Amino acid sequence: MAPKNRFAEMLPEIAGWRQDFHENPELLFEVHRTAARVAELCREFGCDEVTEGIGRTGVVVVIKGKTDTAGRVIGLRADMDALPIIEQTGVAYASKVPGKMHACGHDGHTSMLLGAAKYLAETRNFDGTAVLIFQPAEEGGGGGREMCADGMMDRWGIQEVYGMHNMPGIPVGHFAIRPGAMMAAADQFEIVVTGKGGHAAKPHDCIDTTVVAAHIIVALQTIASRGVDPLKQVVVSVCTVATDSTAHNVIPQVVKMKGTVRTMDFGVQDYVEGRVKEIAAGVALALGAVAVVDYARGYPVTVNAVENTGFAAEVARAVSGQVDEDTAPLMGAEDFSFMLLERPGAYIFLGNGDTAMVHHPAYNFDDNAIPFGSSWYAGMVEARMPAA
Amino acid sequence: MFAAIEATLPEAVAWRRDFHAHPELSFAEHRTGAKVAELLRGFGCDVVEPGWSGTGVVAVINGCGPGRRIGLRADMDALPISEASGVEFASTVPGVMHACGHDGHTAMLLAAAQYLTESRAFSGQAVLIFQPGEEAGGGARAMIAEGFLDRYPLDEVYALHNMPGLAVGAYASRPGPIMAAADMFSIEISGRGGHAAQPHLALDPVMIAGHVLVALQTVVARNVDPLKPAVLSVSTVVSDGSGACVVPGRVVLTGTVRSFEGAVQDLLEDRLRAVVTGVAAAHGGVATVEYLRDAPATVNDAVCAGYALEVARGLSAAVEGDVAPMMVSEDFSEFLLRVPGAFMFVGNGDGPLLHHPAYAFNDAGLPFGAAWLTGMVLARG
Repeated sequence: MAPKNRFAEMLPEIAGWRQDFHENPELLFEVHRTAARVAELCREFGCDEVTEGIGRTGVVVVIKGKTDTAGRVIGLRADMDALPIIEQTGVAYASKVPGKMHACGHDGHTSMLLGAAKYLAETRNFDGTAVLIFQPAEEGGGGGREMCADGMMDRWGIQEVYGMHNMPGIPVGHFAIRPGAMMAAADQFEIVVTGKGGHAAKPHDCIDTTVVAAHIIVALQTIASRGVDPLKQVVVSVCTVATDSTAHNVIPQVVKMKGTVRTMDFGVQDYVEGRVKEIAAGVALALGAVAVVDYARGYPVTVNAVENTGFAAEVARAVSGQVDEDTAPLMGAEDFSFMLLERPGAYIFLGNGDTAMVHHPAYNFDDNAIPFGSSWYAGMVEARMPAA
Repeated sequence: MFAAIEATLPEAVAWRRDFHAHPELSFAEHRTGAKVAELLRGFGCDVVEPGWSGTGVVAVINGCGPGRRIGLRADMDALPISEASGVEFASTVPGVMHACGHDGHTAMLLAAAQYLTESRAFSGQAVLIFQPGEEAGGGARAMIAEGFLDRYPLDEVYALHNMPGLAVGAYASRPGPIMAAADMFSIEISGRGGHAAQPHLALDPVMIAGHVLVALQTVVARNVDPLKPAVLSVSTVVSDGSGACVVPGRVVLTGTVRSFEGAVQDLLEDRLRAVVTGVAAAHGGVATVEYLRDAPATVNDAVCAGYALEVARGLSAAVEGDVAPMMVSEDFSEFLLRVPGAFMFVGNGDGPLLHHPAYAFNDAGLPFGAAWLTGMVLARG
């Protein structure tokens, strides 16, 4: 019950890559330096194929096992992008780029998968093909969707796909996973309420969009409180309200609201989208205004296939012995879900210890987790494609 | 055992239909209780004690050797509903109906008693609980308050409920919470009455009630963890006003709160009180809240749920071991708070839901309920 010894030896090297990525964060699809470094390292390791430019700036790396008697192909995925956050960790290798920071540990994910790549290219102790997926733009750009749209799954014949995310609050070296919905679907909406602007001293000559907006916000609360089965999960949050006037004595002509919807079930997602539109339109109609809803489905729900969850947990147990196999799902979203829509697989959490939460300016990936994460990635390949 | 119970089915069906034709409301189950006691004496139960909490009946059947004391519970009361089932043995009491199948539960437990007294092929002791007042609530609590569990300290306790939508012969249960805690609230909002044409001279409690009702939606929508089930429903709104032109002085809202966990229940009660008080204050009114924790959550002991499912699997291939919990409530929870045990759903087939005027207990499910109750004693006594 321990990480592979090789990764303990490699830890300084892998942590070195990680801290270099940390110092040079890049946003969304602009991960040019990171992707180039990933490709360069994988070529140094002697990987069989390194293909850049998949999903714009993603990198796909192929490592063949000693044998390939059964035509098995397993995909492993890491994300590479950082966040628009001003770093406050105070570490020596803190971001050199003002306003950008690896505050979600993707520097760690990329480095752990690079560590697995180096090990697998050295040992090749498996029967089949490992496909390593380094994706851009997890933090809102849909890099996973873009890579799938480029035909990645078919082009490399990927049969199963596995991903990992570090998780503050879980001890380093521990894993957590669950079958079924693991992370939520994240949709966004914008509601534009148009009334009749005018002087705030003469509301009777106007149709007050601020009042209409307030009624819509209140009525939207009924989706979670009255509409959705209490045994199913849902969040509807209105997050910004902006009038088109900033004056204190003007009734604005237009109010825009933005918000997010989180669900764990495709049927609930359809229902909520319908209700958001009906409520906004109906309440506005009642008050003489017009509301237009732009509802955009973002990342779908991340659903772990039951059987593959078992495989992922089994490898995690071999690495650490501390595996929560029924962790609570999170209302956050993850674009690895696009890959799980195309292929069976699973997504696992790796403990990052008692650190600040991801997306916090003081968050930092814990390098002590690297041997566990790299061992899990490599272990998935060796376990799902055992040497002939 | 199933075959032996099935052989007595015509008799059990006759008892069930007799109860159905003579429904009695909570704590008024006089005829039912008397009939139950008479039948139990006829079977040769070792102890038959009527009069628990008024109309409840407790019976004891000793097995053939030392063992555990296993409680089996059935409920006997009907509902204030006008029957529309169309069956020939329909209620003879206007406005009262066995619309929840307690007639069936009582008959199932009687059939189990008949089998257990004849065979005695078990160790330990079976304690049969025919409780009053499940629908109005408090029947189980009343029996416990009268010292039932002191007189008969149970090792384990089991009960069942028929379930429309679940096929006849099918069973369903789960470890952990299976039915919700039911809290009841009454909110009285006081304003100042007046003429509806001069609202500025009054303080309108109808308007405040509207704001309270809307603001209460935020408790589930914004306060409760979306992973935790919760329901807060305002069910009645009644003003003391007497006309369309009168601003009333007072509005009363009543409703119910459902949850599965103590921490969620606490949060719901706290937020309900804070929302009501705050919104009323914002409009210059005064609100008082009466909040009553009625039935606790029905939580199956994990080990006993395993036993319960095992017995069901011995009787049927259609056993759901992880059925979704329900937001409705059940006062068997009072026993489960104090004694490890489990609650089982038994299929009633397709048909109208419980508490519907056209609901009909399915007699074909009777042997499955009776056999499961019997099986719990055989397996666990």
